[in-house]
Amino acid sequence: MASAPALDIRGLTVRYGDTVAVDALDLSIPAGSTVALLGPNGAGKSTIVNAVLGLLDPTAGHVRVLGRSPRDAVRAGCVGAMLQHGGLPSEARVGEVLDLVRRSFGRAGGAVAWPLEDLVATAGIEGLLGRPVEALSGGQRQRVLLALALAGAPPLLLLDEPTSAMDVEGRRAFWTTMRGLAGRGHTVVFATHHLDEADAVADRVVVVAGGRVVADGTTAEVKAGVGGRTLSFTAAADRRFDGVPAVTAVSRRGSTVTLATSDADATLRALLAEGGLPDLEVRGATLEDAVLSLISTRRRTTIGATR
Amino acid sequence: MSPLFAFQLRRVARNKQFVFFTVLLPALFTIFLTKIIGGQMPGASERQDVAASIMVSMMAYGAIGAALGATIRISFDRASGWLRQLRVTPVPQTQVVAVDVTVGVLLTLPSLLVVALVGRFVNGVQLGLGTWIALVAVLWAASAAFVALGILVGLSLDEKAAGGAIGILGVVLAALGGLWWPVELLPEAMRGLAYSLPSYWYAELGRDVVLDGLPSAAAVLALAAYTAVFGVLSVLVGRRRPLYAVAG
Repeated sequence: MASAPALDIRGLTVRYGDTVAVDALDLSIPAGSTVALLGPNGAGKSTIVNAVLGLLDPTAGHVRVLGRSPRDAVRAGCVGAMLQHGGLPSEARVGEVLDLVRRSFGRAGGAVAWPLEDLVATAGIEGLLGRPVEALSGGQRQRVLLALALAGAPPLLLLDEPTSAMDVEGRRAFWTTMRGLAGRGHTVVFATHHLDEADAVADRVVVVAGGRVVADGTTAEVKAGVGGRTLSFTAAADRRFDGVPAVTAVSRRGSTVTLATSDADATLRALLAEGGLPDLEVRGATLEDAVLSLISTRRRTTIGATR
Repeated sequence: MSPLFAFQLRRVARNKQFVFFTVLLPALFTIFLTKIIGGQMPGASERQDVAASIMVSMMAYGAIGAALGATIRISFDRASGWLRQLRVTPVPQTQVVAVDVTVGVLLTLPSLLVVALVGRFVNGVQLGLGTWIALVAVLWAASAAFVALGILVGLSLDEKAAGGAIGILGVVLAALGGLWWPVELLPEAMRGLAYSLPSYWYAELGRDVVLDGLPSAAAVLALAAYTAVFGVLSVLVGRRRPLYAVAG
């Protein structure tokens, strides 16, 4: 069992009526890694998370969590999760809710005991234990939900848009916590559309679009996979870039043109042959450029396939 | 005692509204109604009968409110996302409804006991010890029908509708089921309706015990049938829409 991947998804397909939310998706995540599921809204990130937790029954395919079925893994205390539609009960104090969930993990056995003080400090909920749930702010609520996810020190943590209700400072603290957990050997899988978070925290990025994996690798690999360079320069409004080799995307802001290119050499040579490039700047693609390019490629191929 | 049971019990019992409507209000009604109506009776034995009848009605009223109030809230726990959150902890899903049922059954007991004590010591209702025990035991057991009804409503309705249902169901069951006034005072047409309500048969169980020491077969059958119907419907609704399904 020790050698089982934290997460093993094969041929996962989830349909809602006519809509295909996840389309024959394969994904294997070894224990101990930190993986970002990246993609636009509606890409299928939450559906994947929910399938891994057994919150929905897939139309086809199979999901194994640490070698178990999703439901068994949850029952055995192997998984902790922050859900998009999860919440806290009314008429209860934070400490009571946390105590209930900690005990449930304790009963499930297997889970490593996580001392309360350590848990409270890790989740950043010092001073909140005696507070009624109704009196929490949005950010505090998220941190309490994180504490519940961590309560059993589960080997696998699944976080669906965990920082959506947090301010910038809260976000930074949150990801510092996550890096610490990954350092302790937890597998952390999080869905986000904040590319900077993925770039800063994940050692692997899985880009999802249209219910499929369109890129999978380290952030450096994902960036490199889409050509890796953007060129910006000043150009006349009527200048066209249709025939320029290796250009994957064109955007304009005022008189500044930004080209994404898969071969900076070829693109630059062609542009220089046409004339000058005032205010030229060349930089490596950001993760955002890479993801946008991957997603737009994916859309084009999808449209092509349905014709 | 499972941690979830202790947790749920504490949450409901802490609710001041719940305690007011299920214990305090029925107890106060018992005193006032007996003073007003019992005071118009010519003799002591008639006053006894009226006091006992009002006590039984208020025991039923309090217990019904408690059973519904403690269980319909499952809808609130779904709306807040708490049931979904619980689903990703090792707490077994089967325990969630079982605990709410148990809490509902347990919390009808304070209403029954407090009103009975008020009946005995404030209004002077005289019954044999065996009859007192039988009265509380029968009403406690039969409260299962209203616990099942509450679970059914809590699983079926969204938060707002469920919140309204607690009050409306309580009033309808009490007013038309003859808990606030005898069914005989209702217009002919509405009396038929009263006989079809579980609340009428519930109070009838209590009146039977007070008069004969035993509930009548008709009342027992009626309550058993209601419990079975509400229970089966709850299971059907629960199967269609799991507890962890997102509200709405």
